[in-house]
Amino acid sequence: MDTFASLGDGFAIALTWQNLGLALLGCFLGTIMGALPGLGPSNGVAILIPLAFTMGLGATPSLILLTSVYYGAMYGGRISSILLNIPGDEPAMMTCLDGHPMARKGLAGEALSLSGIASFVGAFFATWGLILLAPQLVKIALLFGPAEYFALFALAFMTLGGVSSTNQAKSAFAAALGLGLAMIGVDTQTGVPRFTFGEVHLYDGLDFLVAIVGLFALSEVFIFLEERHGSADAEGRQLKVGRLTPPMSMLKQTTPTMLRSSALGFLAGVLPGAGASLGSFISYSVEKRLVDREGTFGKGDPRGVAAPEAGNNAAAGGALVPMLALGVPGSGTTAVLLAVLLSLNITPGPLLFTQNPDVVWGLIAALFIANFMLLALNIPMVGLFTKVLMVPPRVLMPIVAMVSFVGIYGISGSSFDLMVMIGFGILGWVLRKFDVPLVPIILGTLLGNSMENNLRRAITIDNGDWFTLIDSPLSIVLWAIAIIGFILPLIVGRKVKARMHERGDEEGSLTD
Amino acid sequence: MSDRIFGVFGLLLAIGYTFAALAIEESFLSDAVGPKAFPIIIAVILGLSSLAIVLRPDPEPHWPPLARLAEIAAAIVVMILYAQLLPVVGFVIATAVASGYLAWRLGSSLIATVLTGVGTSIGIYVIFHLIFGLALARGPFGF
Amino acid sequence: MTFKATRIALAAALIGASAMGASAQEFTPEAPECIAPANPGGGWDFTCRQVGKSLQDQGLLSKTMQVVNLAGGGGGVAYAEVVNKRNDSDDLIVAASSATATRLAQGAYPGNTMDQVRWLASVGADYGVIAVAADSKISTLPDLLDMIKNDPTSVSVAGGSAVGGWDHLKVLIAANAYGVEDVRKVKYIAFDGGGEAVTQLLAGSVQAFTGDLSEAKGFVDSGDIKVIAVLSPERLDGEFADFPTAKEQGVDAIGANWRGFYGPGNMSDEAYDGWVKKISDLYASDEWKEVMATNGLAPLDLQGAEFEQFVSDSITQIQTISREIGIIK
Repeated sequence: MDTFASLGDGFAIALTWQNLGLALLGCFLGTIMGALPGLGPSNGVAILIPLAFTMGLGATPSLILLTSVYYGAMYGGRISSILLNIPGDEPAMMTCLDGHPMARKGLAGEALSLSGIASFVGAFFATWGLILLAPQLVKIALLFGPAEYFALFALAFMTLGGVSSTNQAKSAFAAALGLGLAMIGVDTQTGVPRFTFGEVHLYDGLDFLVAIVGLFALSEVFIFLEERHGSADAEGRQLKVGRLTPPMSMLKQTTPTMLRSSALGFLAGVLPGAGASLGSFISYSVEKRLVDREGTFGKGDPRGVAAPEAGNNAAAGGALVPMLALGVPGSGTTAVLLAVLLSLNITPGPLLFTQNPDVVWGLIAALFIANFMLLALNIPMVGLFTKVLMVPPRVLMPIVAMVSFVGIYGISGSSFDLMVMIGFGILGWVLRKFDVPLVPIILGTLLGNSMENNLRRAITIDNGDWFTLIDSPLSIVLWAIAIIGFILPLIVGRKVKARMHERGDEEGSLTD
Repeated sequence: MSDRIFGVFGLLLAIGYTFAALAIEESFLSDAVGPKAFPIIIAVILGLSSLAIVLRPDPEPHWPPLARLAEIAAAIVVMILYAQLLPVVGFVIATAVASGYLAWRLGSSLIATVLTGVGTSIGIYVIFHLIFGLALARGPFGF
Repeated sequence: MTFKATRIALAAALIGASAMGASAQEFTPEAPECIAPANPGGGWDFTCRQVGKSLQDQGLLSKTMQVVNLAGGGGGVAYAEVVNKRNDSDDLIVAASSATATRLAQGAYPGNTMDQVRWLASVGADYGVIAVAADSKISTLPDLLDMIKNDPTSVSVAGGSAVGGWDHLKVLIAANAYGVEDVRKVKYIAFDGGGEAVTQLLAGSVQAFTGDLSEAKGFVDSGDIKVIAVLSPERLDGEFADFPTAKEQGVDAIGANWRGFYGPGNMSDEAYDGWVKKISDLYASDEWKEVMATNGLAPLDLQGAEFEQFVSDSITQIQTISREIGIIK
């Protein structure tokens, strides 16, 4: 029971008025930053580092503030996903798929409160996982060599089929487009510039936040401009808000989903380089495979909201495992947190748990506190959030557009990035017209470089032998899942379509 | 028909991407795979999926009338001007004008336009600059 | 011995610096910023953060120095950014090291040369290490190099720099010194920073790690990896005294990764002097000596023009080595 004694000490450290105040402040600011498109968790944490330093906070209070921001942003991202169909940050993009349809059906309140609860469940279990399993989990991370990472990423892309579009070719097109965009910039393996056309701004590659904000937020603005017809503008959006708490039946229906997604998301988070986006993505696609018998995913199924939210918050907790135990950041945000630790003269790594137990356990206690606080903040505030839907688009959309611009400009200070963002906005509008899903593009830009680098490392290690990719039991398992996940939906999808034809759909001409 | 044109465009993109990939200059010492292989694999997937779109197109999407397209084009021009002029005229003025424009085009009345523009601009300035401490573009007046 | 010469020159530089001090004190950066041209956790990042924090602790900076991670291209992205976009900034310094010099020497920052920026000062040197997993059969550097000599495909060496970068070069220097004929056959795997490279050593994907002592330290303490050679002229002090040098194992290879800073090319003289003074004051402090001791940094203090000369010399030296080894023409 050594662990619990340490955890008790952690709470003793964290439960001071100052630390509770910091946690509250962090949760509040984090939620706002998460909800604003263009400011994700990693930027949110980075922005507040100077604040922590100017307040002269010590190591543990700084960490409490910043991890509260981290967890807060993971909660906040879902708000704009559900209400506006614009992900507040990258892991929240999966929440758009069912969260926004729920809001359109007049279930915005339920979607928000349910996703808040799912976030809580994911983060709660992940924090326990962090406490009880961290040393063992490090061993899992060590099972993943370059070949296994490549297989994992391939798995993610292969299960894409059908997640967000009925047309597989368009999903594949979008994924390839995203991967292709990720290749822009200086090649990290050999240092040669690729697809930069001599433009230095492109040497560092495209920032995926620029891509997300452009594709989702600006294209939304364009769609409103396109659809405006005199006075008919606001009426379409005067939606019912629904109840502010989810009914028991909905909770019951989504509980297994939340638990499964927490476990999956946590595992994805533990692997450095996979991170929260992969966690929410995999949770959603697995859940869709498992329980979506009636084809309601993507049309406002509560389980499609619970899965990615539990998944991404669990992944956020999981990502702390390699950061604390190995000193290797598992995601953009943990990279920033790692930097904070280093500047506080704390070196994460195998000895952190023994050398700085006060920091580790204080941090873990803070995670619990922040998580409860976020639940307590978020459920009552659902009513407030849903007020956004009452704002007519002629006011809301200019604000969305400007917040997007500012989020990007405030971080990079570059007009070039704004131009790229406008380009993505136009691209997003065109692709939406063609019913090309946007999620695979983001997934491609997020994972493209890691995927390529791991492929090249694996093959170089094995002297140019491409069969090394299927050389270990783990990678064979991953590939098997990928192929089953890829082939099955294609066959099953055909069957379902065929069955629908049999049922006597007259317009068989639609599909040729 | 739109989908077929889209697919052909995708094919051209894949071909162009392949050429750009082949043009990458390799450095003096390289790994076993090199910087070209993965982009070429991507181009192949891009090309194949484009081909599939050409061969099995979806139903025609709904295209807006020309006037609406012009509306979007105008908004794009305003956004580009905003991006370029932001560092010159400063954040508050540029943002007020740009958000005012969008509010106007989305059907606000004159007063609502002005209120939306100024309100958005000052609101964002307070939240992002004064609270979060982000460096926003400074114009001739310091804001 | 170059060190003695630099000591004397250094004394002169210090006097010069303190003479400049009067005017330099005027300079206070409005928003001090340090670019670490790599992801958090690596050597450059450490340099920025440690120096930024110490400068503030010592009262040499009144504001927190913001650290910006700008990874990519072995520092080339950051270099191009500074030359092209931030060339006039007085508030900006950038972490640099032997890796920067290596890339510059090999022309690996396309179109960039060392005289496009102003070299400020060094803050110490980090000797290279070659390490293997704790349970590895390999226990000496000659063991490893023999394996490479017999069958270069049997050993993968992981490092945090790109192919041809400083981490890579260190292995090549050692292999060259040991008489491995075609050192280009040595299998080197590039990772995004030393932390990731060590992790893959632990995972068993690779057989050896090349990096800096500061990157390996935490994992040596925990007993996960063992250092088979330090590329220093003689054994280091204190807790590092146990590590054998390459030289005593009959491999005449020395690789010191100096750490320092450069600033933008059009930085004003006032700002340049101000930064040089701040960094040299920091270097002289006891707190910094402690930081150096705990992190395995060996002394190397060069400022201003001295440092600029030093960088220029090491670039020439790396060019010579690279040519000898046959990786540049």
